[in-house]
Amino acid sequence: MTEDPTSINVDQFFPHPPELVWRVLTTSELMARWLMPNDFKPELGHVFTFTSKPIPGTDFSGTGRSEVLSIEEPALLRISWQDAAKPDGPVTFVTWRLESEGRGTRMFLEHSGFDLDNPQQRAMRKIMGGGWRGIVERGFGVVLDEIAGAEVK
Amino acid sequence: MPQRTKDSATDRLFGALANPTRRDVLDLLLSGPRTVADIATHFDMARPSVSEHLKVLKDGGLVAETRHGRFRHYAVEPQPLHDLGEWLRPYERFWRERLAAMAELVDQIAAQDTEESE
Repeated sequence: MTEDPTSINVDQFFPHPPELVWRVLTTSELMARWLMPNDFKPELGHVFTFTSKPIPGTDFSGTGRSEVLSIEEPALLRISWQDAAKPDGPVTFVTWRLESEGRGTRMFLEHSGFDLDNPQQRAMRKIMGGGWRGIVERGFGVVLDEIAGAEVK
Repeated sequence: MPQRTKDSATDRLFGALANPTRRDVLDLLLSGPRTVADIATHFDMARPSVSEHLKVLKDGGLVAETRHGRFRHYAVEPQPLHDLGEWLRPYERFWRERLAAMAELVDQIAAQDTEESE
């Protein structure tokens, strides 16, 4: 669980070597199957477009414009993430980091640079003042622990 | 003026969270289930007041009550907090789903690679 409210952190384990995970992460046609259709190329500075549906609950229009900011095969990919319909809108950043874990790979995804002043955050501040985040985060953690526990059983 | 229902589940949830004492009670329960008497020792209020707050938390779906012999235990129901977290950060859900889809695809590709090499 991240303490930084301007970023989102999610991780995922793959029972496969980093090279294979990297191939699925950075091959345009494969990326289209788990993320969105795109004209991505694994090249530093490459500017590309994602075409998809709007993401529920966000103001993402469905078309994204991104740039490859960092690429280190097979360990790190960092791109910018901006709504193509709003060229003056906020830019956020998505970073995928791969680490060997046993015979598999753990992927750490960070989506950072969020505005703390979106309508949802404002609504929560109005209702709960400061300090709401801790409760929501810890509640979130308890559910994740329960899910993890159920998977172990 | 539009008429809004004042008694939806969402209203009860936010109503329960709007009170700082109830948030403290919830915070305490996040560390594990407790009885009313146990909760009361952590606050400067009488047990009936604690019970009243617990009732509001229960009505808001945030707390569940179970009986153990003579005692009632109160525990956090994490689902509403989880839903709230997703509402606050919709991208979190988006990425969780995308990475799960990716995990399936990696499995498929690994299976194909194995077939091709056989």
